[in-house]
Amino acid sequence: MIGNLPMILVGAVLIAVFSIIIGLLLMGFDRIVAARMQARIGPPLTQPFTDIRKLLAKENVVPENAIPWLFNLAPVLALASAITILLYLPIAGFAPVLSGGGDLILVMYLLTIPALALVAGGFASGSPYATVGAQREMVTMIAYEFPLAIVIIAIAWKLAAAGIALPFTLASIQANPVWSLVGPLGVIGLLILLIVLLIVTPAELSRVPFDTPEAETELAGGILVEYSGKNLALFSLTQGVKTVAMASLVVALFFPYSLAAILGIAGIPAAVTDILFFIVLITIVAFLSVSLVRVSMARFRINQVISVYWIYLAIAGLAGLLLVMTDQIVGVI
Amino acid sequence: MSTEKVKKTVPYTVPIGPVHPALKEPVMFTFGMEGEIVRTVDFAPGQTHRGIEWMGMRRNPVQIVHLTDRICGICGIVHSLSFARAVEQIAEIQVPERADYIRTILHELERIQSHLLWAGVAAHELGFDSLFYLTWRVREQSMDLIENLTGNRVNYGIVQIGGVRRDISDEQRVLAEKGLDYYQGLLDKMATLFLEDSTILMRCRGHGILSEQDARLLCTIGPTARASGLNMDVRQDYPYCAYGDLDVKAILPPPETGGPKGDVYDRIIVRLLEVGQSIGIIRQCLENLPAGEILWEPKMAKLLAVLKKAEGEGIGRVEAPRGECMHYVKMAGKEAPESWKVKASSYSNLMSWIPMLQGEQLADVPIIVASIDPCLSCTDRVAVTRNGRSDILTKEDLSRLSREKTRRMMQ
Amino acid sequence: MAGLPFVPEVLKQLFSRPATNAFPARHLPPSVTEFLAKVARGEAQIHPPVPTPPKFRGKIVYDREACIGCSLCIRVCPAHAIEFIPETKRVRIYVTQCIFCSQCNDVCPKDALHMSSDFLLATEDRYAESQIVE
Ligand code: SF4
Ligand code: SF4
Repeated sequence: MIGNLPMILVGAVLIAVFSIIIGLLLMGFDRIVAARMQARIGPPLTQPFTDIRKLLAKENVVPENAIPWLFNLAPVLALASAITILLYLPIAGFAPVLSGGGDLILVMYLLTIPALALVAGGFASGSPYATVGAQREMVTMIAYEFPLAIVIIAIAWKLAAAGIALPFTLASIQANPVWSLVGPLGVIGLLILLIVLLIVTPAELSRVPFDTPEAETELAGGILVEYSGKNLALFSLTQGVKTVAMASLVVALFFPYSLAAILGIAGIPAAVTDILFFIVLITIVAFLSVSLVRVSMARFRINQVISVYWIYLAIAGLAGLLLVMTDQIVGVI
Repeated sequence: MSTEKVKKTVPYTVPIGPVHPALKEPVMFTFGMEGEIVRTVDFAPGQTHRGIEWMGMRRNPVQIVHLTDRICGICGIVHSLSFARAVEQIAEIQVPERADYIRTILHELERIQSHLLWAGVAAHELGFDSLFYLTWRVREQSMDLIENLTGNRVNYGIVQIGGVRRDISDEQRVLAEKGLDYYQGLLDKMATLFLEDSTILMRCRGHGILSEQDARLLCTIGPTARASGLNMDVRQDYPYCAYGDLDVKAILPPPETGGPKGDVYDRIIVRLLEVGQSIGIIRQCLENLPAGEILWEPKMAKLLAVLKKAEGEGIGRVEAPRGECMHYVKMAGKEAPESWKVKASSYSNLMSWIPMLQGEQLADVPIIVASIDPCLSCTDRVAVTRNGRSDILTKEDLSRLSREKTRRMMQ
Repeated sequence: MAGLPFVPEVLKQLFSRPATNAFPARHLPPSVTEFLAKVARGEAQIHPPVPTPPKFRGKIVYDREACIGCSLCIRVCPAHAIEFIPETKRVRIYVTQCIFCSQCNDVCPKDALHMSSDFLLATEDRYAESQIVE
């Protein structure tokens, strides 16, 4: 472990830089595609970078009745934890930088930390809008956690049933794409689970229709209303990194393929192909679950967010799980 | 209820306004909240008083017509038309038939434009920005048509005392007919996008309910009242301009959609159907456009002389996109009118916010507030400030002040 | 798509041309005058402006020679934008105050006032030369 430390540090820095850059590019891509879908031209691809640069140059206002240390700590915590998630996820076919026994469960927990940091920051702002936003964020979090857990458990169960050791590690998921383990029924089940995960993503990222915590029209930005300058820049970066993290999770769980292996390339070209392939994959995921969804619906009310996740998606997820299980049993017989 | 009292009875209050993204125009709301539920509502309009009536008292009617255009950025025709009608009543001016038809055409074009604007705002308040962009994009067509007919996109400056200032040429007629075809085709698409969308249905059905009884008691008007099932429309009840020749019926939410429930959804339906109705009205007017003059007196100097001699009171009422708009004018043989009072349509609808909002969720506040299509800049007629502090006048204060004013005017 | 009629619509829009009216230039040029000179020389392209309709009411034009100083225009101007100059017996119009109603055009017995289609009038100085017509 100690000997690994330099490697881990280098890996962590690389991942941080990679995820921030790709995250911002993904945000820029999302803005362009969303604009096109709304028949607008939209900003250039690099607009998020410009925005961050501008935010960093701006004054960092701390409201009078805020709790300063918590208010300032929250964005740092959010970004750090978002990057940490990526350290546990396989990126572009490379093994995760950090890995241990149950890292899928760990990823699930880590995913909640940026949201919790946001909630803490919201409560610490001392504004009624931010308070309402923070309450909503907590409720949203509780709502989407359940379907997310179903998806993860379904996949791990499948791997375990197929006799693979350490089913919760992403490395084994990486090595054994789930699609190849199931029959036709299971494919339908997995498709349903994929859709569930794609619908959990916008809530995880606070985008329409699940952007209730930020709800521009009634809460004026809600949880982020008091943030400005450097702190807001950190939250924007978190948003970008979280987009990468969620998209990578989808890719890692459902599409752990390597284009280079399929094409039979090796060495440096293989790494390049795989990185590009990975970027294309997460871009597609981001388009489907963020851009397309956010331009084609109205925002949900908070109780509707709960019913969507706890009733519709939970049922869909369980149905998916059941299909995968049936498939397994039928397959064994 | 005063803010202090609200604070005592509910856990916490959320202020919205006077400047807030949910509001397109300034008004101050104070909500007493219990969790996400709105328990008490208090609102204070009067944040954009501009003293338009005061300006009017220093101008002659021919000048005021263009001032009325600017009472509201959307209802330019509505205000100038009701003012002109009041003055025409006083001076016994007979508006030529052709002018009446052109007035009607523009009046209805304005309604199309206004309802589309509202639909876009409503979509935005629901967090559905793509629909907002789409609606506003197609609204451009009606703005272009209005610009072509009147010379400007807003502040049309088309109505004159005794008629209209511009005729509709044959080419413009072709253009207008093309525009109508476009909207006819568009309407079905709009109806699908708004009424078949399950997220809009989820957010609007059964929310912001105004019962028929409340609607009647609070004297609501226009689409807000019609969505609650009140069969009223100035165009039907007191026809003016060309409406007497046309068959205009107040539009109520049709029974196929579940009959008048008085919720936000019904208000969307009523407005969408009214766009269709307006298209029909314009079509009819274009077909039957009578020939003749467009002004009672083309020479403005003569018109001014007549108006200067005019004495008496007049009331102009028209059905604005938001409900009845009324102008009261009193002339006493001088250049400027002795009194001019504007009652914009939103004024009658504001009180309906209270029953609509109580018991709703905070998330629904923007769409419910927007659902009556409030236009506050035209509504704000008074602002009382004393020593730099604004006061709230009670009903008793107001009736005392108006009695005093009447007495002054009688002398 | 059942319940979400907007999905096909946005996908269609994704592949069609945006409806936005483009700015004259894609980016703000370092020097606007230089850019315009380049356009005049045919070295650069600008997006053509949206045309104004016929009978558009833009900046007012005044034919000083035709005017007889009857000051009727002052009487009908809603915005009090016209001032009478007793020495010359002519009028002066403050464009910043004008509301482009063209009522003065209608009333002028000598047809000395007209509306042009010029609408790019913004400046920082109310009394700039471009804002006063006499
Ligand atoms: S166009 Fe109207 S506002 Fe302008 S100077 Fe003439 S009358 Fe006055
Ligand atoms: S109305 Fe015409 S002629 Fe008379 S003062 Fe004005 S510009 Fe001159």
